[in-house]
Amino acid sequence: MARDLGELNREDFARYKDDVKKEGKSFFPRALFHDTVMSLVVVCVIVALAAIWYFDADGVKSGILGPWYTEPADPATTSFVPRPDWYFYFLFYLLRIFKWPETVFIATVGIPTIALILLIGLPFYDRRRERRPSRRPVAMVAAVLTVLSMAVLTWKGATAKEALGSELVAFVPEWAQEQGFADDPQAVKGAELFAQSGCLNCHTYLGQGAGNLGAPDLSSIGQTNEATYFVRYLTNPAAFGNTVMGSYAYLGQENLDALGAFLAASKGG
Amino acid sequence: MAKKSKRGTLVETAVLAPLDWVDERTAAVRGTKWFLFRNVPRDISWAQTLGSATLTAFIVQTLTGVILAMYYEPSSSINPTTGKPVAYSSIEAITNDLTLGWLVRGMHRWGASVFIILLFLHMGRVFLFGAYKYPRELTWITGVFILVTGMLLGFTGYLLPWDQTAYWATVVGINLNGTAPFLGPWLAQFLATGPEIGSETLAKWYSLHMLVLPGAIIGLIGVHIYLVTRLGVVSPPWSGERAGRERAEAAPTGARAGLVRGGTSGGGK
Repeated sequence: MARDLGELNREDFARYKDDVKKEGKSFFPRALFHDTVMSLVVVCVIVALAAIWYFDADGVKSGILGPWYTEPADPATTSFVPRPDWYFYFLFYLLRIFKWPETVFIATVGIPTIALILLIGLPFYDRRRERRPSRRPVAMVAAVLTVLSMAVLTWKGATAKEALGSELVAFVPEWAQEQGFADDPQAVKGAELFAQSGCLNCHTYLGQGAGNLGAPDLSSIGQTNEATYFVRYLTNPAAFGNTVMGSYAYLGQENLDALGAFLAASKGG
Repeated sequence: MAKKSKRGTLVETAVLAPLDWVDERTAAVRGTKWFLFRNVPRDISWAQTLGSATLTAFIVQTLTGVILAMYYEPSSSINPTTGKPVAYSSIEAITNDLTLGWLVRGMHRWGASVFIILLFLHMGRVFLFGAYKYPRELTWITGVFILVTGMLLGFTGYLLPWDQTAYWATVVGINLNGTAPFLGPWLAQFLATGPEIGSETLAKWYSLHMLVLPGAIIGLIGVHIYLVTRLGVVSPPWSGERAGRERAEAAPTGARAGLVRGGTSGGGK
């Protein structure tokens, strides 16, 4: 008695086509009229956003919708906090949740890939003929949870604050004591540079820092090498096969030596 | 009388003959009629305009993008007159000097966000209506690919102004790709085009943003619209007069026989 799903589906669709043919309205002009009105609204909204953005801002001075542009790109800046466009905020925030180097790929690749597979596969694992939302509780709950989590992640990403260099410098005496380099002025200077130069936008150090991009924790990096090695590394990370990290050669030799001393003194407390 | 009718016939022939000539070879006229003069369910309304609204936002992106491409220069070398990167200077010139350039750039910038929002709303509507089910699975899948390509367009376009926001967001973005297992470092290398993000990166992203990805998304949108036209749009699933609704096919026998309205399925009610 039970007929197979394909047969029922084809019957449904045949009935749909029949109904549309007999009871439907013409796409042109009746449905197209709604479409045209909606499209005009869309164009007006875009023009309005452009106008508000332009007239409220002035050059690099931000208005309610942001500035026309920020300062020219400068690879040597270290204090700039990177921020993607709003529709990548959810990904941006996922990175802060999975910030340890071993787990960062869960946020960057794992979750987006799974989400994409679930999205593409939807018509194949949800094979019921039922279309009414009231009869599809699982689908509706899943949709609400998806929308909520995306909204929360986007909101958290939008309001997330990176720690500023000026705040991180306050930790230097604590680090110096824990790592035992308080009596080494060069290492202390290096620690201050480390806090101010944006290193902690990617790296972590004794519980501080963002842990972005799979950058390793540096709390005990001093166990691995000596100061001169770190100086060479900072000058040209690419030469060590690290294409993620940029060169810090612009800091100057004296500062690099200080950073090297600081890193060499960081033996994990 | 007969003379006038003859002239009318001549005029009609003069107008229709070229159309017939084209139609005989391409079926373009039949195709247009097929697209415009089809029936759609009579209970569809504003909710089903989100797809065409998304298309409108995309057309805005195409037109403004073409104009921007005429004035934008994808180079990070320093413009000797302004002392700023060439790409940045061209964005400044488009915003400040070009007649209505601010409007074109503003519409492109904000149109991108509107496009993404509409993509998500349209997808939400399709999910709510269960419109991804048989036989529209491939329409859904092409739609998912349109969403992904749209987000990639946003990601590649973000770098082009070559300001601090653009540069640092892209550094992070490229590094995120680098965290993927196996292909990650290769992908990051490809996107960055070398150890540092510079002119070659900019040229590559410009090419992706205005040749590769638009080509891909236009193809996907074409398939998507063809499928929508071929398979039709669904009625709201809760609508009492939805196309394809199930009817009491055979009159029940026994005591309730007389209580069921007579009539065949697909009657003009």
